[in-house]
Amino acid sequence: MSPPVGILGVGAVRAPEATQPDAEARADRVRGTLAALSRDGMPVRLIHGIEELAVLAAHAALRGAGIPVPYRGDGLGVVLGVEEGIDGIKARYYRGVLADGPLGASPLTFPLTTPNAIAARISILFDLRGETLTIGGGNVAGAQALGLAARAVRGGHSAMTLAGGVTCLEREFLEGASPASRSELGPPGGGACLFLLGPPGPAGFAATARLLGYGEGFGPDNVRDAIRTCLEDAGIPPTAIGAVRTAAVCDRRSVVQAVRGAGVGAGIARSPSSGLCAASFPLAVAEAAQPPTAGAHGPVLVVGTDCLAGAAVAVVQGGA
Amino acid sequence: MRERVVVTGLGVVSPFNPDGDRERFWASLCAGETAVGAVRSFDASAYACRVAAEVDRRLLHDGAADPAFCMAERAFDRSLEHAGVAPRTAAPGRTGVVVGTVLGGTVSGERYLRARARGDPGAAETLAQYPLRAIAAGLAAKAGLTGPVLTVSTACASGTDAIGLAYRTIASGAADVMVAGGVDAVCELSFSGFCALRALTPDRVRPFSRNRTGLALGEAAAFLVLERDGSARERGAPPLAHVAGYAARADAFHLTAPHRDGRGLAAAVTAVLEDAAVAPDEIDYVSAHGTGTPYNDRMETLALKTALGARAARVPISSVKGALGHAFGGAGAVEAAVCLLAIRDGLVPPTVNLEEPDPECDLDFVPGRARRVAVRTALSVSAGFGGQNAALVIRGCR
Repeated sequence: MSPPVGILGVGAVRAPEATQPDAEARADRVRGTLAALSRDGMPVRLIHGIEELAVLAAHAALRGAGIPVPYRGDGLGVVLGVEEGIDGIKARYYRGVLADGPLGASPLTFPLTTPNAIAARISILFDLRGETLTIGGGNVAGAQALGLAARAVRGGHSAMTLAGGVTCLEREFLEGASPASRSELGPPGGGACLFLLGPPGPAGFAATARLLGYGEGFGPDNVRDAIRTCLEDAGIPPTAIGAVRTAAVCDRRSVVQAVRGAGVGAGIARSPSSGLCAASFPLAVAEAAQPPTAGAHGPVLVVGTDCLAGAAVAVVQGGA
Repeated sequence: MRERVVVTGLGVVSPFNPDGDRERFWASLCAGETAVGAVRSFDASAYACRVAAEVDRRLLHDGAADPAFCMAERAFDRSLEHAGVAPRTAAPGRTGVVVGTVLGGTVSGERYLRARARGDPGAAETLAQYPLRAIAAGLAAKAGLTGPVLTVSTACASGTDAIGLAYRTIASGAADVMVAGGVDAVCELSFSGFCALRALTPDRVRPFSRNRTGLALGEAAAFLVLERDGSARERGAPPLAHVAGYAARADAFHLTAPHRDGRGLAAAVTAVLEDAAVAPDEIDYVSAHGTGTPYNDRMETLALKTALGARAARVPISSVKGALGHAFGGAGAVEAAVCLLAIRDGLVPPTVNLEEPDPECDLDFVPGRARRVAVRTALSVSAGFGGQNAALVIRGCR
């Protein structure tokens, strides 16, 4: 059993917005956030929508926790799950090279073909100098980011960590994507969800929820193994779980069977964000981290799977 | 006191040793050879720079598989052989893999886009090894590993972070054995980008030299078998060394340029010494990032001076990128391998092509030839795009 990790702030963003006014509101938020983050009067320019999603989510999580930005210190790091989001950028960049040779290679776009560019952008804009990691795990990338961040906080390697996932689904690669590597894809669009994790109740920062446990599994029994590991980490029996929420998964039926096989009898619901790949799991955790409604009992088990990267499970207690 | 995390196996594939022969790799580095030459994996004739350090891919695969996957698989297999770990014998849930990579199967992605441009209906088949996570997943599935399976992508620090995260996974008790390392293959996507950023050398890589002109792309894979000390003892596996510390810090400065004073790298080195409980005077060798770009090498010199103090001027420091180019995700893992072999043999490889010392890079960068040094404790540092910085401390077990 490991000590719980406090969720000190949450930032969740989904796109595309349902209506034009929503889209304009997001654009306004982006402008406002960037204006607040500009240094020495230098304007900040973002190149791709995935950066906007990540920056908005990061800002909301930090603001929610009362963290002043720019932070200017190495006590706060970033662990970001991102993979599908950069595929479109890579594809467009390389198509330019195929079409025009060296002249088609855009030095402006090229840096965004590296998976860590989005985490780096967050680190730079908010001046977060702690451990900054980018995880590529498909559907469970955001989950693995949460798991690593929780370990870093528990181990004292990072005082606080901004962790979660971001995705921006585009068509360049998805049209021909192998079924073995993609699952439960939603329509083009995107989302981001970041949490500020830290020890519960540090001076000045109150936890709004707690991450009680986290586990992963790989191989034929990945969901079962992930649940077992997670519950051991949380130090609670399967019967203590109050609800189950599925994020993006490869095969929902086998997930349900594994949950029941692990002795978890609580009701199982699909997260509305289950089509958002790397952002899906953190968004499902954010839903689970809401204060419990009347009549709800026990923490929420969140399950995600990826056809290549395996399974991830977290136990979350809302309203800490 | 936490249990030691020991290294019991090492596998490397580089332009010097496509077959994974560790000793050939080491002998070539220590002899001061260089693998940087004309680009062979694609037509680079239209580019202003046309050199890279590539593996002879005819010795690697049949042409259909992604070269990054092939290199990773071979290095991974060699590391398990070296450690005496037979595939599919790992305890359930207790053995995992961490792969550091920037490009993953980007060569496959390029093939896909070229095929699409030709209207080839079978183009999607080339994408099976494209996803970033496909390498880690493929290696774990092949070896029957059911512990943590992770892909970390932190630009040029990826291989170092992969080993560091594996070390931390074992130290936390979440696994007994982790196979960790990094890989990347030369591809036109990254070549064109670094060329556009004017970061590539037109001829040779000259780390820390006054006349340095930039980096050359390289390709390599390296994997270490990391293991709980008790687990290695139970198996009777002799440790090569142990990982004593890991730390990572961000510059928070610029997307493509390092912080001019090496703020993030200095912080990472300071933090790793603390994590390892090692004083600067105990460092016997530094495996530098040393890309051969004007900014990196000056920044790295300043960072080492800041973090190591007076020791920076006395400790031998070398970069293998003049020999092997810059293998991105593979680089940090290859350089951890260099530290292991330096500890084993009491020999540190030279910084190839360091012919004109730069007054701004005024540390002992081991020019010319390999040097005999008793290495008990080695420091390996990496820095990358986005202000990524990571450091490992590796110590001998005697």
